[in-house]
Amino acid sequence: MRTGRSLRLVAPLALAAIAATACGSSSSGGSGNGGGSGSGSEPTFTIAYQGPLSGGNQQLGLNMSYAVKLAINQANAGTTFGTLPFKLAFAQEDDQGSSTAAPAAVAKILQISNLIAVVGPAFSGATAASEPAYSKADVATVSPSATDPTLATSGWHNFFRVVADDDAQGPADAQYMAKTAGLKKVYVIDDASTYGAGLAKAFVGAASGDGLTVVKHDTAPGTTQCQAGSGNVQQYGPLAQKVKQSGADSVFYAGYYCDFALLAKQLRSAGFTGQLVSDDGSNDPHYVSSAGASVANGTLLSCACQETITSPGFKAFAPQFKSLAGFASGTYSAEAYDATNAIIDAMKSLGANPTKAGVISALHSPGFSYQGISKTVKFAANGNYAGSAVYMYKVENGTIKELGLIGASS
Amino acid sequence: MCLSQHFSTYLVQGLANGFLYALIALGYTLVYGVLQLINFAHSEVFMAGGFGGVLVANHVTHGQPHGFMSVLIVVAGLLGGGIVGAATAFVLERVAYRPLRRRNAPKLAYLISAIGASFFLQTMAGKEFGRNGYDIAPAYTNGTVFTIFGAQVQTIDLVFAGAGIAMMLLLDRIVAKTRLGQGIRAVAQDADTAGLMGVNIDRVIAVTFILGGLLGGAAGYLFGTLNGVSYTMGTVPGIKAFTAAVLGGIGNIRGAVLGGLLLGVVESLAISCINTDWTDVISFIVLVLVLLVRPTGLLGERLGRSA
Repeated sequence: MRTGRSLRLVAPLALAAIAATACGSSSSGGSGNGGGSGSGSEPTFTIAYQGPLSGGNQQLGLNMSYAVKLAINQANAGTTFGTLPFKLAFAQEDDQGSSTAAPAAVAKILQISNLIAVVGPAFSGATAASEPAYSKADVATVSPSATDPTLATSGWHNFFRVVADDDAQGPADAQYMAKTAGLKKVYVIDDASTYGAGLAKAFVGAASGDGLTVVKHDTAPGTTQCQAGSGNVQQYGPLAQKVKQSGADSVFYAGYYCDFALLAKQLRSAGFTGQLVSDDGSNDPHYVSSAGASVANGTLLSCACQETITSPGFKAFAPQFKSLAGFASGTYSAEAYDATNAIIDAMKSLGANPTKAGVISALHSPGFSYQGISKTVKFAANGNYAGSAVYMYKVENGTIKELGLIGASS
Repeated sequence: MCLSQHFSTYLVQGLANGFLYALIALGYTLVYGVLQLINFAHSEVFMAGGFGGVLVANHVTHGQPHGFMSVLIVVAGLLGGGIVGAATAFVLERVAYRPLRRRNAPKLAYLISAIGASFFLQTMAGKEFGRNGYDIAPAYTNGTVFTIFGAQVQTIDLVFAGAGIAMMLLLDRIVAKTRLGQGIRAVAQDADTAGLMGVNIDRVIAVTFILGGLLGGAAGYLFGTLNGVSYTMGTVPGIKAFTAAVLGGIGNIRGAVLGGLLLGVVESLAISCINTDWTDVISFIVLVLVLLVRPTGLLGERLGRSA
């Protein structure tokens, strides 16, 4: 990563990506296990991270993978769980956030002989494509970010997640837009991904009940430009005109930040002055930097994640994350950290020789509860996070500020 | 309802997109004219031009330029993108196509070579420039310049149209009037005979790739000013431009322009009427209908004749 730094002069925007690539290629295999040299006899187990480590949504993946690594390093150093009867190693595989690349990533992870559990997969589509294999191999997967509701109802006994699903997020967004923001007519656009389509559907389903009229529900496939689908960037110009002429006073975009930024730019350029609202996939500083602060300011971004600045655990976490990753923690960093620690906590309860199947039952056990930095991690029987909360954020002066809790459901 | 209302607005949007398709389509059509080969790596020439445009434009842009300075920066960006695109196309021809031509390889081999080169260029750009996109510093303040039939025409639409028309006219004149153009037309008509008549076929082919690369690279810069630049930016515009070239009559320069503009307008109007994800379905239905009536495209294949 240090060598990557010098490239800053050539192309400032490439820095994060290049630095990350350099790290990504050298970090698999884990720096955290320290060889287990202290007593030498403890077994080593690998916790693998699966998510997008390349492509337009790489930043979300990096936010998570460094948090996983940090949690493993700390557990090995004995700072978080005291002395453990085993050592942990870190591994990561890139699924590009896509359902087509996911099976290959899964196959590679399953080849790790001392694999104990997986943090991830990060995206909903990739998760749906990965779970059959993980489920067969009895590997617990704890996703920090996959929010498609159907993932919990597909009968995978090994599936867990530490975020609220879209059935919570979509309706909470609709309610907020109607009741708090006072909006009347919304134009809904999803990006045709498993995640975007599911979220938009949940949003549309709840909107009318809150007095919010859905002028139109349109689908604009994520673009190849953003590595998020097969769509054409040129669609956003005419689409922006269509939104403007629809008479909507707001746009709800269900998708990821890269495409949302392109759409937002076109909307403003077409003269659309209404409220822009999006979701956790867009809740990333890269949305602001690619759309430009003048476009992004005022945008509402929801997330089933909390900017946990206030929790004491997060205050300790943030600087440690930054010193490990080289950039500040972002969306889903805290969730990934909690997911990893929940796995380690479950392993700890199993003693010196935890098994993959043992971890699954430990996470499922009704008494399981881990006090994380974003929330207290507990799971419902179907693997969903038990007790969910959605938060609203707003872009102000080029930064994403938390407005607070907007919806809670059990 | 969809077509009558705000028709002109979508027309303007479609034409702006169409000029971009047309510029890229010219690269496909020129190469097809002389080699009867679809250069499927042309989408990466476009992408390379985008990065060239970023490097040049972001280097010369300071603050918020206006007036004459804006024009200079746009020209610099077009040149930067064009030159990088031309260099990429030139190397592409040397490395991926010429060795096959020397050995009289079948046409399918060119296709594989093109796809391989495309993967290589895309992956290399991703590795070199990172996976996140870049933005091009704005060369001018975008705003509505005038309103025509209710459609607001913005600065960016005029830049697309102006740069597109200027470059297409230049190309048309080069092919029609110059000695170089005569060589291109001769090779397109009958390469063997042209060779016997003293035309240096290798040189003509190299120049054709360079011309196509110039236009494609410049289009990459224009595209980048609107959408930013990323290593995967070439894929869809490349397919669209290829479609446009076929629509207008592959090998035909004016056909490529017509096909590009038509495709842009059809897409834009389609979006105004139906859900955005159905755009491609509509534009390909139009393509198939046109090909059923005119199998060689709207204007037919005719680079060989005086354009």
